[in-house]
Amino acid sequence: MLALEAKELVVGARIDGATVPAIRALSFALEPGKILGLVGESGAGKSMVGRAIAQLLPAGFAITSGSLTFEGNDLLQMPPAARRALLGRTIAFIPQAPMTSLNPAQTVGALFDEHLARLGEARRSARRDRAIAMLTAARLPRAAELLTQYPHQLSGGMCQRVLIALAFSSNPRLVIADEPTTALDVTTHPPILRLIADMQREHGTAVIFITHDLRLAAQLCDQVTVMYAGRAVESGPARAVLATPAHPYTRCLQLANPSMRAERRALYVMPDQMPSLRQLRELSGCHFAPRCPLVTDDCRRGEPASVAVAPDHQVACLRARATQVVAAPSGDLVAAKASERPLLQVEDLRKHYAIGGGLFAGARSVAAVKQASFSIAANEFVALVGESGSGKSTIAKMLVGLEPPSGGTIRLDGEDLTAPSSRTSALRATRLQMVFQDPQSALNPRRRVASIVTQAMEAGSRHSSWDERRARTRELLAEVGLAADFGTRLPGQLSGGQRQRINIARALCSLPKLLIADEIVSGLDVSIQAQLLNLLARLRAELGFAMLFISHDLSVVRHLCSRVLVMYGGEIVEQGPVEKVFADPQHPHTQALISSVPPDDPEAKWAALSSAVRPRESGDPAAGFPLPRE
Amino acid sequence: MAGPLARALRSPRVLVALAMVVGIALCAIFAGSIAPHDPGDQNLLAILSPPAWADGGDRTYLLGTDSLGRDVLSRLIYGARTAMLVALFASLCAMIIGAILAHIAGYFGGAVDWLIGRAVDVWMSFPPVILSLILMVGLGTGLSKVILAIVLVDWTRFCRVLRSEVLIVTRHDYVAAARLLGFTHWQTIVREILPATTPLLITLVSLEMAIAVVVEAILSFVGLGVGADQPAWGQMIADARQYVYQSPWNLLLPILAIFLAVTAFNLLGDGLRRTLDVRLAETGH
Amino acid sequence: MTSLVLKLIARRLVAAIPILLIVSALLFCVLRLLPVDPAAMSLPPNATIEEVEAQRREMGLDKPLPQQYLIWLSAALHGDFGRSIALRRDAGALVAATLPATIQLAGCAMAIAAILGLGGGLLLFHLRGSALEPVADLASILLLSIPEFLWGLILLFVFGVLLQWLPFTGQVSPGLPVPHVTGFLLLDSLLVGRLDVFFSACRHLILPAFALGLAFSPTIMRVLRSSLFDVYLEDYIQQARLRGLTERQILIGHAFKNASLPTLTLAGVQFGILFSGTLLVEVIYSYPGMGNLMVDAVRNADLPLIQAIGLTYCVVVLLINTAVDSLYVVFNPKLRVR
Repeated sequence: MLALEAKELVVGARIDGATVPAIRALSFALEPGKILGLVGESGAGKSMVGRAIAQLLPAGFAITSGSLTFEGNDLLQMPPAARRALLGRTIAFIPQAPMTSLNPAQTVGALFDEHLARLGEARRSARRDRAIAMLTAARLPRAAELLTQYPHQLSGGMCQRVLIALAFSSNPRLVIADEPTTALDVTTHPPILRLIADMQREHGTAVIFITHDLRLAAQLCDQVTVMYAGRAVESGPARAVLATPAHPYTRCLQLANPSMRAERRALYVMPDQMPSLRQLRELSGCHFAPRCPLVTDDCRRGEPASVAVAPDHQVACLRARATQVVAAPSGDLVAAKASERPLLQVEDLRKHYAIGGGLFAGARSVAAVKQASFSIAANEFVALVGESGSGKSTIAKMLVGLEPPSGGTIRLDGEDLTAPSSRTSALRATRLQMVFQDPQSALNPRRRVASIVTQAMEAGSRHSSWDERRARTRELLAEVGLAADFGTRLPGQLSGGQRQRINIARALCSLPKLLIADEIVSGLDVSIQAQLLNLLARLRAELGFAMLFISHDLSVVRHLCSRVLVMYGGEIVEQGPVEKVFADPQHPHTQALISSVPPDDPEAKWAALSSAVRPRESGDPAAGFPLPRE
Repeated sequence: MAGPLARALRSPRVLVALAMVVGIALCAIFAGSIAPHDPGDQNLLAILSPPAWADGGDRTYLLGTDSLGRDVLSRLIYGARTAMLVALFASLCAMIIGAILAHIAGYFGGAVDWLIGRAVDVWMSFPPVILSLILMVGLGTGLSKVILAIVLVDWTRFCRVLRSEVLIVTRHDYVAAARLLGFTHWQTIVREILPATTPLLITLVSLEMAIAVVVEAILSFVGLGVGADQPAWGQMIADARQYVYQSPWNLLLPILAIFLAVTAFNLLGDGLRRTLDVRLAETGH
Repeated sequence: MTSLVLKLIARRLVAAIPILLIVSALLFCVLRLLPVDPAAMSLPPNATIEEVEAQRREMGLDKPLPQQYLIWLSAALHGDFGRSIALRRDAGALVAATLPATIQLAGCAMAIAAILGLGGGLLLFHLRGSALEPVADLASILLLSIPEFLWGLILLFVFGVLLQWLPFTGQVSPGLPVPHVTGFLLLDSLLVGRLDVFFSACRHLILPAFALGLAFSPTIMRVLRSSLFDVYLEDYIQQARLRGLTERQILIGHAFKNASLPTLTLAGVQFGILFSGTLLVEVIYSYPGMGNLMVDAVRNADLPLIQAIGLTYCVVVLLINTAVDSLYVVFNPKLRVR
């Protein structure tokens, strides 16, 4: 008997009076004890599947047809009380954002107590023992003490372990894990994934593992279903599907992922983006057709039916046999011709913060950055890599003048920029710019795009006319690959990728020599990320600027940058050419970062996932830097 | 601001409230033409007469007369003028002072913020009713004194609320980006922060007007308001209280007037808050 | 945890001292703006100019302002707040006599405001999404628009004059004795064993306490409702649903506790304002508390009394704020545990 089976499941959404299918004709079969991966980019509908199983769909969404059976029971016909009885008991969920998924006013012990009491454990002492047992099984040290702690006292990784322990504490038959590691630091990914895999094996639970990472799915899952715009475009055994994908989308997605170890190549860029629910109404035929490299007229006529290219391996495409032909463009756009002359020289940069203090206690000094020294040459892309709390954002802020350094010097083109002042602000405005991480907060929602990209022309005593600004807007938008009519739009009308392009355009307006990019592609879909990386490489070739690229994603770093600086605990623990550092890392933290990336080849074994390693305590450089507690 | 303003004007709440406010404002502006009598005209032969629809009522005094024979309707209309003048000027002045200090404190932070914050704390530890009474004792009665007293008491409310908003807005990256692009502090505040805080500012002004109407009424009630020669709703209530058994309408009508004015401003403020809140709009349609 | 709370209380109290000093200094200065001469007022109308001058020197009114303030301050620290000019009694004693009545009124009003506010807030929240929601929301705004002074008058008129169900003057029915043990009439009447006085005091307290409570409950209602709305947007609520908890369990066990924190902060601020609102209600109901005393003092330009009463109001409000802050720390784990 299958653990979970979906047959032609359709979830409709009411948009502007009409019903648009957000998920169409989804079918999958999950056997007991197996892991099914639901892979796709944001908006593909994978999280919606989890909500459909729980019957907790958002307002306006409803299951309109199809069937969903759990261990032989029809989930859709079940009365609400019976369905609620399943939740938390036989069907459990592991959420995406662990820190906000825990009630801040509830201790871990109270959480378990409530949950276990609901599961039927009557005695308080028995509940407490079980809680301790589960927390210990989740490899959390000092479980008894943990029961008295509140979520804000735990790190992200610990919160997730608590949630995993909670999910498995009822011996569920099905666990739905919705991107459980996306919000966590990279070095915590392998231990958490290992934990989930071990618990799954131990309890014999079936797992639906939702992720956007193809390589991860290949390593962890038995079966995989690739979703695009609400449709399952390909499904089959994980390694088979990902080693030889049959659907063009899967193949393009693979080619859009920068690789860690293979030879450096250009990224395949899919144009535009996945259609939104509104846009789906107008599309007939295959929903991937507008972006597909193999598209024919037949594709646009009707939605392709699912065919089997191999036993177990289904694909919904008319051109499945031609997929292997799709290849990445040749040439390495990113080949850098860095000059010898150093553009930016940073020596011995330090930053201390005073924490606490007041009438009754003295202040403690916390070092956010200790003695950072590095240089960047003109036209060189240098990466700054580290986890949260490593100090990389602080260095960015000091370079840009938002924070005064506590010590050390910063020199740009020989000029001393260390202490923020009106003189250094003027120097910075023309030579050094920053592209901010969060596209939501980086663009003023009340300004139109034209006003944003030419904002530099408004500053200080410069009075550029509107004609000048309009002309410059056209130029800048063309540079970043956006149509000229974008100038009149508001940021709220743009997608994440488009906003980042505006962000970049704004920074390039006064043609700076050095750009600081703070995690600008994190949180973007792989295909959008590929577009932006190609854009950056092209812009450098055309305009010529250097960049300090801050990121936690090593494969992106390897693709784009020629040198890398690895930060841990406020210090630069390793630096050098990217290929050299990644091939032969010296510092344990660098080694941990590299081993936390799943291999490109689906058939290869991921060492970090299979090795039986003891749980790492925070403070251990190989485990990642702990978030500073208040 | 055009988009949010258009949105605001489509809300039924805002429209109704705006209609009420405009109605009261028209009474205030055209009091001379609308009021049937001079509000200070005493007719000692017709004191405490009931409204026209009750028995004993007289068509010449539509809503009756008070203890000195003055026409209640005219006094209500002129009272609207007092209330609106106080509300308008007091809120605007308090808003200007509060907003300037809030933006300086929130944007610059550090010692400036601390200083302004402490000043606000000290000021706000004075219960508002007590402080306004004491200020009126010190300043004396009169329209301008009432406005001054309200401004002195309530600027702190603007400052505190706006400062929180300024802090939230300043934390956005686009403010840092503006500074990076070479904007001066003044340019950054005016072009990046102020447009973001303006919706809240407008909402607060509306709510403050409601508060100002009440404070003016309280001060007049206690005898420390605009003075005996200017009609004020609070004073009408104070007078009517003594004769509540003989002419209850004289008490109820000014109460109703105050209620309507305060409701209008509160409704307007609430409606504006809901429709102008760009934060709701910018996180997705 | 208690040590942390005690430390916080101590810190707030110490921080309150400079505030009190500044407030008393401000009070002092503002009152000196009066175009009224306390010396002349304390003498009979036919006093000569020399006598007035002598009185001025005796009252210390010819000294520079800061010195006058310091003299007043040192006396105040010994409990001597001067003598009321109009009533010719010790100002401190006058305040002490009327303070318990005001505290009694404010306390009952706060309880009413809290119960109505929390209940109303839960009701408003419960009605979300239903057809009644806009009606209830509008009703709460209308209620919000009636300040305590209007409530006092409306309740007096409806229940006192029209229906004649409840009394609306004073603290007890005339003719009944007023026992004096602690100063809190409700308590004293029970201590002395006079239940008739107790019930009379209760009946007299109903209208003024409800006037205040009704005036301040709508704000609490609306803040609780909007806090609950905010809390329900959080991830952990959805996660609780996915664990199979019922909506009722979520509301009571998870949402309410988190929503009550911002509500508590606001309620605390409201209580401070409520306490000062007792002034008007006391005037309307001729209730013998500090408010009535203050209004008379203000009408008579009785500076020492105004100063003493003003300072007392500030002290009480500061104490209420400190209490609320401490409660906030107790309930907010993020502040409690480091």
